[in-house]
Amino acid sequence: MDITFTPDEERFRARAREWIEANKPSDPPAENDIEARREFDLAWQRRMHAAGWAGISWPKEYGGRGASLMEQLIWYEEFASAGAHDPSTLFVGLNHGGPTLIACGSEAQKSFHLPKILRGEVVWCQGFSEPGAGSDLGSLAARAVVDGDDLVVTGQKIWTSFAQIAEFQELLVRTDPDAPKHKGITWVICPMDAKGMEIRPIRTMAGHQDFCEVFYDEVRIPRANIVGQINDGWRVAMSTLGFERGTAFLSEQVRLTRMVGELIELARRTPLGGVAPGGADGAKRAIDDSDVARRLALLRAEVEALRAMTYRSVSRTARTGVPSSEASLIRIFFSELQQRVHGLAMEILGPQILEWDAEEGPASAEEGARRKRIRETWVFRYLLSFASTIAAGSKDIQRNIIGERVLGLPR
Amino acid sequence: MDLMLSSDQEAIQASVRAFLENELPMARVRELAHAGPAALALLWRAAGELGFFGLAVPEARGGAGYAITEEMVLFEEIGRSLAPGPWLGTVLAARALAAGAAEHSDLARIVAGDLRVALVDATSAASSILVRGNEVSGESGYVSDADAGTAFLVVAAHAIVYVAAGSGAEVEPRPSFDPTRGIARVRFQAVRGALLADGAGAVADVLRVATVLSCAEAVGGIQRTVEMSVEYCKVRRQFDKPIGSFQAVKHRCADMAVRAEVARSATTYAVVSVRDAADDQDFQVSVAKILCSGGYVQNAADNVQNHGGMGFTWECDAHLFVKRARSFDVALGSRLEQLDKLAGWF
Repeated sequence: MDITFTPDEERFRARAREWIEANKPSDPPAENDIEARREFDLAWQRRMHAAGWAGISWPKEYGGRGASLMEQLIWYEEFASAGAHDPSTLFVGLNHGGPTLIACGSEAQKSFHLPKILRGEVVWCQGFSEPGAGSDLGSLAARAVVDGDDLVVTGQKIWTSFAQIAEFQELLVRTDPDAPKHKGITWVICPMDAKGMEIRPIRTMAGHQDFCEVFYDEVRIPRANIVGQINDGWRVAMSTLGFERGTAFLSEQVRLTRMVGELIELARRTPLGGVAPGGADGAKRAIDDSDVARRLALLRAEVEALRAMTYRSVSRTARTGVPSSEASLIRIFFSELQQRVHGLAMEILGPQILEWDAEEGPASAEEGARRKRIRETWVFRYLLSFASTIAAGSKDIQRNIIGERVLGLPR
Repeated sequence: MDLMLSSDQEAIQASVRAFLENELPMARVRELAHAGPAALALLWRAAGELGFFGLAVPEARGGAGYAITEEMVLFEEIGRSLAPGPWLGTVLAARALAAGAAEHSDLARIVAGDLRVALVDATSAASSILVRGNEVSGESGYVSDADAGTAFLVVAAHAIVYVAAGSGAEVEPRPSFDPTRGIARVRFQAVRGALLADGAGAVADVLRVATVLSCAEAVGGIQRTVEMSVEYCKVRRQFDKPIGSFQAVKHRCADMAVRAEVARSATTYAVVSVRDAADDQDFQVSVAKILCSGGYVQNAADNVQNHGGMGFTWECDAHLFVKRARSFDVALGSRLEQLDKLAGWF
């Protein structure tokens, strides 16, 4: 057993840290400005690509960095602890679509799409969930019929993040309505400019418009865009979900550790109750309250345990070569912990969370900036954190997976 | 970086588990808890023959020359089986005697399993013990698994003293909340022992090892509660189905499995931090204790709940884990004390 990294790995860490520190972009656009986010993320991706850091987990033969599991861990640690901007609009291409093509795509699909994803030329989105197929993804109903060289798709997808700015979509459609439900599904690359598509953004509870409904009215997609075999899409999709629950979450976890550090700082700066009576100096600080202090201490201990848990999981994967069902254990612990962190932030901040556009109108620019920071760092992220026990397999589904696949309980 | 067991460690785990499952099925654990010191002596000798007490003792001193990582494996198995007896005190005494400059004739007997040693944490609020030179005076409450035949490892604020069996310590056994772990009041009136180390640093070293090995023991117990619940929920049927197929029950079991993995990860990381004397080893040990205490208490409670009416009986083993979880928490710095320690570092 070993908690240290090899000299080679430490040298890799030093190189990664130095490069990220020197190159990380500052001042990302507002969450609501989705077009600007696209351009910002693509530019950041191009910069990483030019320096050879793009596709950290992708094999070298496809232009990736081909980093070992330990190097990936180190990269994500350094990336997140530098506070480097997470190019979240590119998540699907880099962590789902690309890896799926690498695993199951044809040579033509790989050579056309992989370089575009890696070089920061395109955005991908995911067309899996439907109004009637959420946790029960296998019951999806969007239909595709073969017509000559095309698939003709009719139906609806939902919760498609970044559909409005994407070039391509990884799309699951039902190609054999008579087969058992997991046997009649096909995984296909859908160009987002195809005729017959309609995209309607959905406003989230956090107020922004990351995700969309997508409607397909006899949309023609070339059969050459099918990844794997027709009717074999469930197997292809499961390989993507494996990636989603694998190393891609590492940076989120490191970011959460950073958030707890910032929360402790916030508690040091904030008067107990959020607002000092009459703005008085010398008021009791939140961190001086023993209940707040103990809850912060527990969160501090929990993010540390999360890191140890991640290290154990990476160690296990390094031995077996495949991400295991145990990833669901981490996912549950992480997502609920994230919600506890953001919940405590709301209590520490007190009534100042109530004013939504609080940067408008305060006396000094400095005070305006402080309020903006509170809203973006804490209030907005508190609202976002509700998604973490729903997206990528709700916590209830994760618990089923643990109960059935890890513990062997009956269905 | 690797936090999985090595093949050597897996072999130790298999051999310890085989021994304890054979020697200490739960029925035997319950008997031993009332059988008195003589019955424990046989178990101790058998464990000594297998080398349990000298894992981290250098080979030159008669041990196996392993490290705290292998002791972690041992203690996890002890915790799984709720094995009665002063395992922690005995292992710590072997370590402390082996680390001492002078040879002590009891070391070989401890490693062989001829002597049991109870740990006296004289830094706890329940102790009035003072050490002057090699002389121990005062009393400690809640000393685990001490009896008239045990020796003592006294860990005071600035000194570690080994008090041989029969040196004049008065042991007053008290009825114990935890049926598988005895407690006693122990009085020392100017009792002479062997001063093994002095200075706050040496004391902190021993307490750190003690705490993290007790966490390893807790990890074993936490894991056992998951297994007991899963086994029971697969066979207990209501409404014509195994109760483990109901999501309310299945999800509770899933949460138990999460706590087990969290506790195991934190403890493994802390153990390796202690082995390597990492800069943040004290922090890591506190983290492990916090997650193990919280996890054990909640898993033991969930395990009772999963067993329904049976879970509330004396006959069902579930309550033994509830009680062990509590006796683990209150020893060597409780969860609340560890949280305050962490908050103090902010």
